[in-house]
Amino acid sequence: MSELALFLVRIGFVAVLWIFVLSLLSVIRADLYGRRVMSRLAKQSGPQLSQAPVPELDIDDGDAFEPTKIQMLTGRSAGNTLELGEKKEVTIGRSPGSDLVISDEFASNTHAKLVLVGDEWVLQDLSSTNGTFIDGKRVTTPVTMTAGATIRIGTTTFDLRS
Amino acid sequence: MSNLSLTSAIPKLIRAVPRSRNFEAMLIFWVSGIHAFALAQIQLSVLQIMTWEMLLYWAPPTLSAMIVHWVLRKYAVKADGLMLPLAFLLNGLGIAMIYRLDLAELAAGGSDLFAQRQVWLSCFAMLIAAAVIRVVPNHLALRRFPFISGLAAVVLLLLPAAPVIGRTVNGATLWVGTDELSFQPGEIAKILLAIFFAGYLVSRQGSLAEIGSRVLGVKVPRAKDLGPILLFWFASLGVLIVQRDLGTSILYFGLFLVMVYTATGRGFYIGAGLVMMVTGALVASRFFDYVERRFEVWLDPFSSANYTAIGGSYQLVQGLFGMANGDVIGTGLGGGFPQLIPLAESDFIFAALGEELGLAGVFVILAVYLLLVYRGLRIANSHPDDFSKLLALGLAFVIGLQVFVVAGGVMGLLPLTGLTTPFLAAGGSSLLANWSIIALLLIISDSSLRSNK
Repeated sequence: MSELALFLVRIGFVAVLWIFVLSLLSVIRADLYGRRVMSRLAKQSGPQLSQAPVPELDIDDGDAFEPTKIQMLTGRSAGNTLELGEKKEVTIGRSPGSDLVISDEFASNTHAKLVLVGDEWVLQDLSSTNGTFIDGKRVTTPVTMTAGATIRIGTTTFDLRS
Repeated sequence: MSNLSLTSAIPKLIRAVPRSRNFEAMLIFWVSGIHAFALAQIQLSVLQIMTWEMLLYWAPPTLSAMIVHWVLRKYAVKADGLMLPLAFLLNGLGIAMIYRLDLAELAAGGSDLFAQRQVWLSCFAMLIAAAVIRVVPNHLALRRFPFISGLAAVVLLLLPAAPVIGRTVNGATLWVGTDELSFQPGEIAKILLAIFFAGYLVSRQGSLAEIGSRVLGVKVPRAKDLGPILLFWFASLGVLIVQRDLGTSILYFGLFLVMVYTATGRGFYIGAGLVMMVTGALVASRFFDYVERRFEVWLDPFSSANYTAIGGSYQLVQGLFGMANGDVIGTGLGGGFPQLIPLAESDFIFAALGEELGLAGVFVILAVYLLLVYRGLRIANSHPDDFSKLLALGLAFVIGLQVFVVAGGVMGLLPLTGLTTPFLAAGGSSLLANWSIIALLLIISDSSLRSNK
């Protein structure tokens, strides 16, 4: 094989390696900056087309609280969010099988749960050792969540928001 | 009408398989193309012709990677899509380089061949990884056995020192088995140690982070909380001093530090750890002549006394000359003289690749490792459960630290150690351990996306 051909093959091989890595970087880029613009557009166009009357209902029922996610405020996972999505029930506790895992010394393995009743989220304490608190008040009977109410378990606090 | 229902069914079909799996399939094809390119280039420049023999080195690993991919599709469909192709790329590049060294060995009339062995070991390791993905349904089960894994790790570390089965190669007592079939149990022990640290730290992280008495302004945890960890750590370090392998003890120490720091978020552990490390290194260089020799070689590789000494800097300097010969774009696969470096197929494969692929190629290899570790850290970061977070972090860190220590050693920036280059170097134990790490990370990433659903 001629010198020139070998030279081209040699440059070509390093180039192919670089193209491979750079194309992976494009995936990482989506990781870092998210696909926010695309997904928002998709959300807007999806429900609006199929459920046109929904906004009107919203206006009638002004104080309806329809959270879409759980926002962790303090504690070890502060800043994290859990999307509610299509969930009907969110179990909260220290056990790794919980939907919302709380790493807190004061949390029980199965500490509490949020249940979707109709269109309201209801918080229920599962006889935890150290109690569940909403805005400082200990939960004894199931409580309906309202906008802005903060749940505290041990040193971990979080709320529901849309 | 039927046409319409078919077209409406297509998005559903596509959505049934996550994007990452299809992307992974594409990348595997691409990577196997790169491997074929590498082998073809080697044959063209060394033998001047392409022979069918190249399929022997290309087809089995590609098939194995496809089997792993198929198992993922079946049993862990939401697992990370980049790890398998990245590890496969490194594995195949390693095989290509070892094949190239084999050709040089044959041309020189020797018969010490490694490539076929490496091909089958790679396939075996990948199939084991597939089996791990298939058999371990949930890595959380591992959480139940922290002390058993810790104990198993120590036993595995002790095995090479056992009378009949233990073997000493190049001064380090790391192997068990016979001349034909040997195994480094320490490679598996690092996975078990990561499981032990993760399981133990997750149950004690609160007390390790919060409780403790203040000594000189820093909170020192209770002996009760710290005791078992220090005990295991001393045990594994003691074992390693007996076995005379510096690299492995640095690896375990780093793993220990990073996992404790991550679990507690306290700088105290890093500070104390670094002090212990420096003291340990100074003491070791005083009392163990093999450590002392490593330090001398590292500080002054080009002195003629070190260059000519047995176990001196000859290997390191040959590697440095090779990489210098490679320059920026390399001599091309098959164009250099990597066979002049002792142990180029295992300990110094990084230097061999540096010579033939050049700085540009070395950067690609380092970038691939970086992506691999990054994906591991990302899996750790996005998992909701603490045990999984710690385990993923530990496993990713093991790969990262090994690359750091080996690449640093080969480039003369760090003292030379006996660690293996993950996926590249010839050696079955290392392949097996690193592919198992990939399998565990894939399982963890799969479960993370499941629980976020």
